[in-house]
Amino acid sequence: MRGGTSSPNGFPPDLPAVLKRRHRIIKTIRTFFDDSGYIAVETPVRVFCPGIDPYVAPLSSGNAHYLATSPELHMKRLLAAGLDKIYQLTRAFRRDESGRFHNPEFSMLEWYRKGADCRGMMLEAEALLRYICDREDVFRERYAFPFLNISVDDLFAETCGWRPSTDWNEDRYFRDWAEKVDPFLESVDAVFITDFPAPLAALSKLKDQDSRICDRIELYLNGVEIANAYSELTDLHAHQDYIDRVMQKSTSLGKHVCAVDAGFMDAVKKGIPESGGIALGIDRLVMCLLGEKSIQAVMAFPETRL
Amino acid sequence: MLDTTAIRKNLKIIIDGDPWIVVDHQFVKPGKGQAFTRTRLKNMITGNAMDKTYKSGEKIGEQANVEEVEMQFLYAQGTTFTFMDNNTYEQYELSEEQVGDARNFMVDNMTVNALFFDGKPIGLELPNFVELEITETDPAVKGDTVTGATKPATLSTGYELNVPLFVNGGEWIVVDTRTGEYVERVKK
Repeated sequence: MRGGTSSPNGFPPDLPAVLKRRHRIIKTIRTFFDDSGYIAVETPVRVFCPGIDPYVAPLSSGNAHYLATSPELHMKRLLAAGLDKIYQLTRAFRRDESGRFHNPEFSMLEWYRKGADCRGMMLEAEALLRYICDREDVFRERYAFPFLNISVDDLFAETCGWRPSTDWNEDRYFRDWAEKVDPFLESVDAVFITDFPAPLAALSKLKDQDSRICDRIELYLNGVEIANAYSELTDLHAHQDYIDRVMQKSTSLGKHVCAVDAGFMDAVKKGIPESGGIALGIDRLVMCLLGEKSIQAVMAFPETRL
Repeated sequence: MLDTTAIRKNLKIIIDGDPWIVVDHQFVKPGKGQAFTRTRLKNMITGNAMDKTYKSGEKIGEQANVEEVEMQFLYAQGTTFTFMDNNTYEQYELSEEQVGDARNFMVDNMTVNALFFDGKPIGLELPNFVELEITETDPAVKGDTVTGATKPATLSTGYELNVPLFVNGGEWIVVDTRTGEYVERVKK
């Protein structure tokens, strides 16, 4: 009750119990994918191009290599190579990201399905969560299914009084998200956030009906971003435009720019099939399911215990 | 000048000439966007709180050199609280506002840490746990085993809080000065 609660070796006393529950969740996740026709794949963690995002800083790994910030580019190369349903549980690395919900090295679940769109991927993520919750008594009542849906415009209209898709302003958008949207989401158990503004499309498609919006959905549990789904971009010129914009942005922010792998561009030229993809933060999911306050509480070796 | 990478709990920084302490902070990074650190700051002189959101890498201010000096609480008279520096024997007066909630947990001759900024006392820092005497409460109820049941009690400082049913008047308890709550009974 008084003083510290760590045992002499620096581990919290409940760590063995937490790691057993974490293991059971991950085992259930693998069963879910193995039993629904997905192939587990492995892609390199040490790569030349760690990702294409001006706001995600990579960790250098020597000799012009970096640690991957996500397995996205290599998994899409496997889609282009003819694999239809693939999943991967891997480690991702992001420099300067530390906090209750961030650790520079973390576990990521990513999966792709040919013929699907971002809505289909999110429904599958919801089915996965339901599958996990159904298998553990303690999780059964944690979330109400199906999850709520809200568009980015409605979310901003509600919390900040403006609509990003019609009045785009990047600085205002991210500051309002950090100051108002994020605290608001803490009061919501589970929600899909849909219809992101086109400037935040990254490698997702724009909507056919409205090019101010992209086909990207995020899942938030207890105020924490858990998953991000795309209807994957397939068009070569759209890829080149996006990469050019990221390069310009990175340069203007004074950030290091990594050239995109020729292997990835070859895959785009050969043709990434129409598909949906989604990435899900494993540490955050385990944290939410176990009702913990930080991802460090569900990791054996967070950066503070290396 | 410090930037956002220095932000941690209890960091003291100068904003508009006043010392502020970081009470809480949260790294926020909306998908596909720049990162921020959301902070809750407390003015160490006025006690006012404010929320401030910094972009990652942004300058947040100079570190505030707030000194802690060990002092003995001598006495209170009206709204003035008098303390003595244990090393120099110099006496200092703090106002009711500067003492704040600490008055609930201070008894005469108790050793406390006074905080100095720019050579002037600005407030107090109490130990997280202090032992205080209960002066008034209903008698203990024998055989009552309801877990978590409590009753009101008054401490020698005049502060009122809830204690478990088995605690008697005249007994000493440990109080958490951060929450103002009962922690455990101590044998004196």
